[in-house]
Amino acid sequence: MEVLKRTFDFSDFPRTDLCVAGAVALFLLIFPLLPHSSFAMATMIQFLMFSVYGMGWNTIGGYGGQVDLGKAQYVGIGAYTTAVMMIRWQVPFWVSLPIGMALAVGWSFILGYPLFRLRGHYFAIATIAVSLVLKDIFEAWSFVGGARGLKIPLRTDMPSFLYLQFREDYYYYYVILGLFFVGLFYINWFRQSRIGYQLRCIKDNEEVAKSLGIDAHWAKIKAYAVATAFVAAVGSFHACYNFNIEPEDTMSLDLSVLIALMAMLGGAGSLWGPIIGAAVLVPMKNYLGAWFGAKAGLVGLDLIIYSTIIMVIAAFEPRGIWGLITRLRESRRN
Amino acid sequence: MARKSLILVSVAVLALVMAAPVWAADEIKIGVLYPLTGGAAAEGKELRDGAELAVEIINNAKPELSMAIAKNAGIKSLGGAKVKLIIQDHQGNPQLAADLAKKLIQDDKVVGLMGAYHSAVTKTVSAVAERFGVPMINESSTSPALTKEGYKWFWRTTPHDTTFTNDLYEFLDGLTKGKAKGVKAFDPKELLPIVSACEKTEWGANVDLAIKEIGKARAVPVQLSLLYAAKAPDLSSEVQSLLAPKPATMLFAGYGADAILMVKTLKSMKAQPKLIWGQNAGFESPEFLSALGDDVNGILTRTVFSPRVGQVKKVAAEVNGLYKAKTGRDLSGASARAFTATQTWAHILEKAGSTKPEALQKAANEIMIGPDELIVPWKGVKFATTGSDIGQNELGTGMIGQYQKGKDGKITLEIIYPFELATADLIYPFKGW
Amino acid sequence: MTVETLLAQALKALVSGLTMGMVFGLVALGLTIIFGVMDIVNFAHGEFLMIGMYCGLLTYSGLGADPLFGLPIAAVVGFALGVGCYYGLVQFLLRGPMIAQLFGTFGLMLFLRNLALLIMGADPRGVHHGALVGKSFVMGPGIVVELTKLTAGIFSLLAFAAVWWLMNRTRIGLALTATALDGQAARYMGIPTEKMNAFAWGLGGTTVAVAGALLVNFWPVDPNVGLLFTMIAFTTVALGGFGSIPGAAFAGLIVGLLINLPPIWDAISAFSQWPILTAGEMHQFKYSFVYLAFFLIMVLRPRGLFGWKY
Repeated sequence: MEVLKRTFDFSDFPRTDLCVAGAVALFLLIFPLLPHSSFAMATMIQFLMFSVYGMGWNTIGGYGGQVDLGKAQYVGIGAYTTAVMMIRWQVPFWVSLPIGMALAVGWSFILGYPLFRLRGHYFAIATIAVSLVLKDIFEAWSFVGGARGLKIPLRTDMPSFLYLQFREDYYYYYVILGLFFVGLFYINWFRQSRIGYQLRCIKDNEEVAKSLGIDAHWAKIKAYAVATAFVAAVGSFHACYNFNIEPEDTMSLDLSVLIALMAMLGGAGSLWGPIIGAAVLVPMKNYLGAWFGAKAGLVGLDLIIYSTIIMVIAAFEPRGIWGLITRLRESRRN
Repeated sequence: MARKSLILVSVAVLALVMAAPVWAADEIKIGVLYPLTGGAAAEGKELRDGAELAVEIINNAKPELSMAIAKNAGIKSLGGAKVKLIIQDHQGNPQLAADLAKKLIQDDKVVGLMGAYHSAVTKTVSAVAERFGVPMINESSTSPALTKEGYKWFWRTTPHDTTFTNDLYEFLDGLTKGKAKGVKAFDPKELLPIVSACEKTEWGANVDLAIKEIGKARAVPVQLSLLYAAKAPDLSSEVQSLLAPKPATMLFAGYGADAILMVKTLKSMKAQPKLIWGQNAGFESPEFLSALGDDVNGILTRTVFSPRVGQVKKVAAEVNGLYKAKTGRDLSGASARAFTATQTWAHILEKAGSTKPEALQKAANEIMIGPDELIVPWKGVKFATTGSDIGQNELGTGMIGQYQKGKDGKITLEIIYPFELATADLIYPFKGW
Repeated sequence: MTVETLLAQALKALVSGLTMGMVFGLVALGLTIIFGVMDIVNFAHGEFLMIGMYCGLLTYSGLGADPLFGLPIAAVVGFALGVGCYYGLVQFLLRGPMIAQLFGTFGLMLFLRNLALLIMGADPRGVHHGALVGKSFVMGPGIVVELTKLTAGIFSLLAFAAVWWLMNRTRIGLALTATALDGQAARYMGIPTEKMNAFAWGLGGTTVAVAGALLVNFWPVDPNVGLLFTMIAFTTVALGGFGSIPGAAFAGLIVGLLINLPPIWDAISAFSQWPILTAGEMHQFKYSFVYLAFFLIMVLRPRGLFGWKY
């Protein structure tokens, strides 16, 4: 009961926050009913996917302060579990989803133990390295299709909720929206839980945390596993949504960095940060590219703008967009 | 509060503003997905220019050209409607390409799709086209797996890697029998051992498989075959392994910078093969020539087009002239295939006399374009409707070209195979660097 | 296959690994200088290299001179770029947490890469003529040594020696080291730490841009070339220990040798004829060996081989 109460307890946020959050939630729920383009729909789905990725990353990267740049390998594990089980044994998505998450979490425990012996830059680069090793293995492993990847065949009984195959995107939208809300409430519980407080203590000063009797190593491994479960779940969804997966698009360094980048730009270590980050960066990435990319002579301009924004935020407000909002609010109060 | 509502509003505005624009009724829109930025941007530009030239010819009467699409302005059976390409940049990213395909289908209401160069991207886009029941024509993705899905809305004009690899072995066989222009028959053992190296994505892995399997079936097995990461700073260890068995024939598949680096590394390691063959893509892109200069002299590449085709096909020379006037470059394999796919679209529209998907599907399955119409040296365009390769153009053939330095010091891609189309003597064995 | 050929193959792999290793060391040197002084990992390192490569290329194609004349140009451009990046971006990043530094330089990487794309276009380009271009010589039992790589290797040794001398034997080097050890204390001692930081960035930029101008004699250059080297440079630097100059040199050699394991595997496979050792399979894992070795060494010795910062 206590757990449930904490899950839905947002009372420590100011009322304005909650009003806006409620309005956004309502907007998300009715978005498919509003007139919209399908590119906007695809962008919204990607926004939700990256929000959940970011929420997961936020547990270890934001609350725990450990810069993890290797999350894509777990996206890959989730995606491949779902795809392999669906293609080879006709296992429905809803069965393979928890299995994929379990496999990814198991792998994260094996890796987490040695990884968290490292700190700072060494940790960040080691996470990249292990992620790339796993990608190389998947590219050579014929059971999972090797570099050619896997393709989920279209079913004749479409739409199929069990196998998550639909023609229209709004079905996928509501599935990922469901995951989004589950993730949001879970993170709300997480940040107020024992482990949540332990992590923030470790982030501020690991030595102090240890002296208080916190097992820092174990706490970080647990948070890493939570983050892994989140990204693996979205990975499973990605496999069904995209119909085919390859190591190059599910396990690449680009994806790892993007996951961390969005959470960090929105505001690492805050509940709303990753969502804001995804809401800003995903549409920007999609629409700027569409505006400038195809126009002759301006190739690359979209990414120049995009990267300038990243640099400015990293330089002047390391707490991200959420930090900017907090700062403005504080200055107004004074 | 204000800041957060700003975010809310901006999300809402983005969603609403992107409503479908309204177009004039007499335009037929075709959605095109090419990689205009990213690693394959140079090829993407070629593809775009080729497709745009074809549209120019379709939409304007050019009686001086001897092809059907040039006869009148627009599509005659649709009341002279003009074709309009809506070109999108997918950056080589399959996920983005899928989203853009949905945008083209649902927002821009295109009647069909065309694209997308990378086999991995085409795979994703063709799944979207199939889900929505929108015809898609692929011009240049050569992974054989693409037409093995039994899709009803996907057609491919270019021959695929199995055909090309078959051509390669036909060529090697013919070469030893003295069929190649300027080379006498010799002992087939001279071409052994064969080694191959392919980049390890969807496309390269499929080429690798085709090279191994067809070689085995023809009793000229590849002694050593390896896959390498194209995005890698160094290929010297790969080349060292390849050179260990002292190969006579070296086969490659690479996308861009890696193909250039491969040749440079071969040169620096003093490789002395008798034959170097590249599977198109990186080996026939214009920058391969410009980055390597004279070092390409004698290298073979499978291709579907060379400006030399103009010597044997009048229409190819005419179109090449137009292309050169427009862009300053000769047609390449990429631009010629994009041109041909766009031309095929015009024929399908003309035959269907409608833009309804079912009518287009029927027309695509029945279409037959003769060899005289095409700038590429194929036997025509006709799609398979049965068998294991549904949607594949049955009449496409490959070509093998050789970079040769002419007397004027300029390097051209001479046609070597098919033997009857050869435009120059084959340089054999490879002279080295 | 005889024992002699097996040994010859192994020797070839060794030589190729050592020369390649020195090249990697040279590329990583600038990264380790910057890290040693201010604890910041520069994601844009490979883009500095790319700009150095374009300096060499433009000297060749624009001025029609030997690409080697691009070396001093690249040195100046690299220094200016390093100092400019420091004052324009990095000094602000240093005030924030580590994560902001990572993403700030990541943004810089995207920025420089796409700027190059906008100006130079996407096509890979290469130089055709020059004192080093396409030259190589044969030694002993068919061991081919590539002249560009050898020059880069010799240059690498010189650069390492010079930087080591600078850091340990000169006043400015001592000031840099003091800044690295404790910036605050260094400031109290009257060392202009801001200027020292900027100088470290300039020095890092110079070494890597010069490396780029040298590499263009062999490697084709395109705007995306940087990332290929960045990851290798990262692992090299971390393997040797962030901030350690001899560590980077040594780790470069290890990385060079590791990526030359596949040819040795193939030679053993051809020699032994065991079907279980399939020839050609190992090349796919070429870089995995590097990452795996990095991971293992990190776990066993978390500060890297020669690291003094942790």
